[in-house]
Amino acid sequence: MTAALRFGSGQAVRRVEDPALVQGLGKFTDDVAPDGQVFLRFVRSSMAHAKLLAVDTDAARAMPGVLAIYTGADLLAAGVKPIAIAPGFKRPDGQAATAPPKRALAVDLVRFVGEAIAMVVAETREAARAAADAVMVDYEALPSVSDAPSALQPGAPVVWPAAPDNIAAEMRHGDAAAAAAAFAGAAHTVSLPLVNQRLAASPMEPRSVLASFADGRLTLRMSSQMPTGVRTSLVDAIPGLTPESVRVLVGDVGGGFGMKTGIYTEDIAVAYAALQIGRPVKWQAERVEDFLTAAAGRDLVSQAEMALDASGKVLALRVRSLANVGAYPTTTSIVLQLLIGPWVLTSIYDIPLIALHLTSVLTNCAATGAYRGAGRPESIYIVERLFDAAAREMKLDPAELRRRNMIRPDQFPYQNPMGQVYDCGQFEKLLDQGLALADWNGFAARREASKARGLLRGRGIATFLEWTGGNALEENVQVQVTADGFVELTSATMAMGQGIATSYVQLAHDVFGVPIEKIRVLQGDTDRANGFGSAGSRSLFTGGAAVRVASERTVEQGKQLAADALEAPATDIEYSAGRFSVAGTDLGIGLFELAGRQAGARIVVDGSAKAGAPSWPNGCHVCEVEVDPATGATEIVAYASVNDIGRIVSPTIVRGQIEGGAVQGIGQALCERVAYDAESGQLLSASFMDYALPHADGFRAFKTTFDESVPCLTNSLGAKGVGELGTIGATPAVVNAVVDALAHAGLGRDAEKVQMPLTGEVVWRALQRDFGAPVFG
Amino acid sequence: MTRIQLTVNGRSVQADAEPATLLVELLRGPLALTGTHVGCDTSQCGACTVLLDGDAVKSCSVLAVQAAGRRVTTVEGLAKDGTLHPVQEAFIACHGLQCGFCTPGMMMTATCLLQHNPRPSEGEIVHALEGNLCRCTGYVNIVAAVQQAARVMSGEAA
Repeated sequence: MTAALRFGSGQAVRRVEDPALVQGLGKFTDDVAPDGQVFLRFVRSSMAHAKLLAVDTDAARAMPGVLAIYTGADLLAAGVKPIAIAPGFKRPDGQAATAPPKRALAVDLVRFVGEAIAMVVAETREAARAAADAVMVDYEALPSVSDAPSALQPGAPVVWPAAPDNIAAEMRHGDAAAAAAAFAGAAHTVSLPLVNQRLAASPMEPRSVLASFADGRLTLRMSSQMPTGVRTSLVDAIPGLTPESVRVLVGDVGGGFGMKTGIYTEDIAVAYAALQIGRPVKWQAERVEDFLTAAAGRDLVSQAEMALDASGKVLALRVRSLANVGAYPTTTSIVLQLLIGPWVLTSIYDIPLIALHLTSVLTNCAATGAYRGAGRPESIYIVERLFDAAAREMKLDPAELRRRNMIRPDQFPYQNPMGQVYDCGQFEKLLDQGLALADWNGFAARREASKARGLLRGRGIATFLEWTGGNALEENVQVQVTADGFVELTSATMAMGQGIATSYVQLAHDVFGVPIEKIRVLQGDTDRANGFGSAGSRSLFTGGAAVRVASERTVEQGKQLAADALEAPATDIEYSAGRFSVAGTDLGIGLFELAGRQAGARIVVDGSAKAGAPSWPNGCHVCEVEVDPATGATEIVAYASVNDIGRIVSPTIVRGQIEGGAVQGIGQALCERVAYDAESGQLLSASFMDYALPHADGFRAFKTTFDESVPCLTNSLGAKGVGELGTIGATPAVVNAVVDALAHAGLGRDAEKVQMPLTGEVVWRALQRDFGAPVFG
Repeated sequence: MTRIQLTVNGRSVQADAEPATLLVELLRGPLALTGTHVGCDTSQCGACTVLLDGDAVKSCSVLAVQAAGRRVTTVEGLAKDGTLHPVQEAFIACHGLQCGFCTPGMMMTATCLLQHNPRPSEGEIVHALEGNLCRCTGYVNIVAAVQQAARVMSGEAA
């Protein structure tokens, strides 16, 4: 095998990102400390809902090192605009979707704990902190509401007078009358209340912004997945800015998971302060600030129903869901639960009828937003829980019931009831591989063995797909071949730990054949490249496809240039491993030498690629758990998954994505929950002491395989997005396993009443027939 | 303000520290060693872990003045003469990092473990990493990396 192939696509390689990161040489935002840098700190609301009677900054202003203090009134007077909800969504009364103005600093009223009221800029972090503590806020407390069902009760506190019913937006999908008829005539129906609890994305690097204003340009260095989107939103918010006058730079990003996709009000505030002060202004979020104000995940309460005929064929799905979108939802908060999640609700199953009634509810909580999966985990959790309930009702093997409903290979392209078109999939084949990998049929003996040790063993399965691409399916990549010996790839997609640079290098290496050390990836600079950014598991199959196109075009253009240099017909020029040569001769010129002969000492070629449609990665995940009936403690003891992500560029990376993603899904199933106090609206889970992230002692012995035989048909790489798949499959697989264990412990279908996270306490109480209060108003 | 002397990554350094200055603030600020990260406010995440006289400590929970006269090793001090430490090599080889933010703390904790216990069991590795959080990897490859580093450092083939 040649050296070229060893590092090409499809090969397991060491990541190009790693040498710097393991030596502490990464460049995260807070690692950059320009001369004259000053520090910003927010004064945040201690109340969930209150009138602001007075914000007294006099004492704080007099403190040492304080440079400036701004309040909501200052930003209002300066014309700083709130972040608007995109048009298109409607309330039940037909009016446009509505929510309170999402301002950088509160004006007159605060609507959730942690909302920024004022900001202090000072010479040091310590001075900023001390002065922020000295800002005196007088509140007049108002009643608050922190969960969606309560917010819809008559007489509930009103978050925003324009929505007296606390409904920001609402959508219905499908055919309610036809579904009702299907339910009326069904041989079997099941109905479950299901809670997809609020989660904290928790990238290990909290948000971070460094803004500076010089020579008429504003530069934001920050931790973001979408630098161009941040630039656009900043220009919209702050008067006088233009796209040309703003530069967004992103260095290393310490995890994103969707939480770093859009602009935050804090970003606008920091930019405003930098424009006023004329010195670099840094805001490094403390962890508590990410818990308080970063976009939260999930938070969907559903009543979900499935109707089946006597043979187990699903006739219809009916779902009523309430999404708690917080006090200041964004477009993202609304679209995830009202549209994107529903796109995959029928998953890999041929289900003819749906009836969905989905409501975005305003509460006195932080806004929700994208978190790994972003709408799809909620839907897949719902349908996979329903399949297990139906199998239990019909006394069928849950894998068999799924099999009877899967879309067959001869049905592609397949349009689901939401109008989404799947290009390909071999769902039953994946099911069979998953059952074999998990030794599905050998479970009874393992259950007996666990029982002999006093433990309740359960088995859960999830067969599923997801939608990827963010409906932003085109990407551009610029290749620059430089005289000093590098191939540089510039892209508007964004590295955030997923290893996208390594995958791009492998794809370029396929074409150029030069050593991978000679290929560099430049991202995170809106002066160099602009686009949608990295979200929705889109980067490889859009940006990677563009890398290939741009690289191939570069070689083609290089042949023309080489023909000129070598005075030979272009049709006689061959390219291999960094060298152009005239066929049949020993005449030739190196790629980099050729670049040196061009204007600017470089060859510059743009290339773009457009996927024809979203990709639909899918999988079969099977989990086994042991529950200790004495404590309720659940341990995952086996986890097998077969994944169809189409063609694979970087095998090591995709395995890391599936397994690391699965641990996030396990976190939702077993331990994570953002909790607000129902009475006061205080955030109870505001630190890693109170919000339980998975630790190293969790499950790690994953059996993970990939089926590459079903390449995506709508992009040139044949790849399907991998970033969110593991998270989406893990949550239902784990919960189904726990419910199975409890059902076999004598609870029967009552076991289905448990709600995530399945902590020891929740499971132990369930074993005592205590399932808590009803969850759906 | 107190003038303190300490040894950081083998070099004697002097720095001024306020009584409330944290060791991590001294490292990241005046000493410009930004490989040590801050991921929380409550000493849970472990991203700031460094070695203090050879023991892993969370540098967000140590005052700078407490490090006076002592030896501090940060992630920048792991490689020697341009050669990566076996723990660094193993994290790369095993894909033990994704975003890399928790990685310095993870590696310092692992280095301390392997100095005290050259052949830890899987359970001992997991126990040692209890105070370090990672959101990307699911810990799968981190534990594998520590196992591989242990094999290399004790002279076995990787």
